[in-house]
Amino acid sequence: MATVTLKNVWKYYGETPAVKDLNITCPDGSFVSILGPSGCGKSSTMRMLAGLEHISAGDVLFDEERINDLAPKDRDVAMVFENYALYPHKSVFENMANPLRLRKMDDSTIKDRVEAAGKLLEIDHLMERRPHELSGGQKQRVAIGRAIVREPKLFLFDEPIAHLDAKLRAHMRGEIKHLQKSLGTTMIYVTHDQLEALSMADYIAVMHDGELQQWGTPSEIYNHPVNAWVAGFVGEPAMNFLTCDLQGNGDKVHLSHKNFEIPLLSEQIKRLNGARKAKQARMGVRPDALSISMTDPGEPSIKGKIFVNELLGGDMLVEVELEDARIRVKTTPEFNGKPGDSCHLTVNRDKWHVFDSGDGHAYF
Amino acid sequence: MASQDVVHYDTPLQKALRVSAALFLAVYLIWTLLPFVIMFVSSFKDLLEAFNLPDVGDWSGVGIFFEFTPTFEHYSSLFSEGNFGRYMANSLIAAGGSAIVSVVFGSLAAYSLSRVEFRGKKDLFFWIISTRMAPVVAVMVPLYSIFRTLDLVGTLPGLILAYTTFNLPFAIWILKGFFDNVPYAIEESQMVDGSTRFQAFWSIVPLVAPGIGAFVVLCILFAWNDFLFAAIIGSGGAKTLPVATRELVQPQNIQWGSIMAAGVVTTAPMMLLGLVIRKYLVTGLTMGAVKE
Repeated sequence: MATVTLKNVWKYYGETPAVKDLNITCPDGSFVSILGPSGCGKSSTMRMLAGLEHISAGDVLFDEERINDLAPKDRDVAMVFENYALYPHKSVFENMANPLRLRKMDDSTIKDRVEAAGKLLEIDHLMERRPHELSGGQKQRVAIGRAIVREPKLFLFDEPIAHLDAKLRAHMRGEIKHLQKSLGTTMIYVTHDQLEALSMADYIAVMHDGELQQWGTPSEIYNHPVNAWVAGFVGEPAMNFLTCDLQGNGDKVHLSHKNFEIPLLSEQIKRLNGARKAKQARMGVRPDALSISMTDPGEPSIKGKIFVNELLGGDMLVEVELEDARIRVKTTPEFNGKPGDSCHLTVNRDKWHVFDSGDGHAYF
Repeated sequence: MASQDVVHYDTPLQKALRVSAALFLAVYLIWTLLPFVIMFVSSFKDLLEAFNLPDVGDWSGVGIFFEFTPTFEHYSSLFSEGNFGRYMANSLIAAGGSAIVSVVFGSLAAYSLSRVEFRGKKDLFFWIISTRMAPVVAVMVPLYSIFRTLDLVGTLPGLILAYTTFNLPFAIWILKGFFDNVPYAIEESQMVDGSTRFQAFWSIVPLVAPGIGAFVVLCILFAWNDFLFAAIIGSGGAKTLPVATRELVQPQNIQWGSIMAAGVVTTAPMMLLGLVIRKYLVTGLTMGAVKE
């Protein structure tokens, strides 16, 4: 177990920076997810931690020890690869035993540890099979098994469940989280799937274009995104954004748009007045912070027309057409509006966000 | 995809084509196998019987080919007087030695070319292949001159080196394709598991084994059947089977019986090798892909 610290870490491929000045501290025993779209530098970060890529600048520390110049084998990390990277010519048992054999452990210890890991992952009946005789989920368990028999300082998981089907993925999310909690080993888990990050991690590092956007707990990331990019990337269905004018000053400020005029709460006005630069701003509101009604609710609301209804089983997603945009609202399946009907949307103002129209940072 | 039976109805034309294809194959088979049959049968005949031929056009006399008392005299004279045991050993050492040298250096070079990015890699790779483009005859004279200076002419190491000159680029070329098909993640995973760079390389060698096997066979075939290098560079001290066989053709006396026996001795080991590793040879040449 170890605390992992990245200090001013840079990664260059030729002239192109892939990771820019990254600073992260992963507490001992925590489950940290690095979240971002492809090409954001998350995999480079992980490969630098594993020792598969050189660190262009900065330091990586495991506890207090600087590991920049250690070979992968001396770092005591275990990694699970996106494509599992099992040895095709070896049995499941030998795949899992491999790291222990490389450490020259005696046969009985190897047998005990591999069998224990096999039981934990429910693959103990597959020990004699070869990887090509396994399903995707089983291969992935073998890859995890190979990582946990080592009892390493740090787990690195590189999109390990990206190739599984949706149902199995949901199942494995729970399993991996449970496994990490029961082993208590620090884990860094790279993913592009915000749902995986939100549901599994203790802390999330959101990356974009090689830069760390935000570090926080899943609830901080979801409820208090620091900028419009994070807000738009996290959450499914995605947050709605509308460009609005900020009108009024002092203690009466409202957001004005062709379809609505809604005042800010007084706490929000205080935050805004200190920081505001432009007259324009981007309002962000998640589909579940909006409610839809066919009649005028008698409070400030957004007027629009229903464009289409999408029934998602337990929820209904309604796309509402405004003058210059469409926004999505989550409601119950009982909602009976028809496409083309006029409707009113009320915003839960505790849960809306206003972002700077220039650099996109969040006022609140 | 599993193959399946396709329902198929012949038109008269297709039937005719099929019959003629079968006929063609039959003729082709006779054409290819007959020399071997004659060689094999003649090697057991004494000289008089070997030249006992039916008259031209006398098809009923074909049986005459098979009327003889088998004799091993040609074989025993090959090995007792002709020193063919020695030549066979030379052939084996030259072919095997060059195969081993080529496979060791070839797999290391192919691995590096497959895994490491460096400036001029494409040019280097092209240069390696281009050494194989010149016909053997074209480089023979300069090679001979170099080998003579180094006192390598007429020695087995010289012959091995000469074959390696041609086999090594071939090895690099073939094996690079096989290494390219092995996902790099397997080695990365090995290294994170605790192995050194070399152990990681070693761990994927079993995955390219079909390629190595196929290459070794082609390499041995090339060296075993070679006449030119063996005649010029190996002449004297490192005489191989093809050269020794050629020497049985003497101006006053062509020793047909011995030549036929030598032919069998030269051909049989390669045929056996081919049969034994046929399965691997086919997978090796057609299926370089290693599935994850």
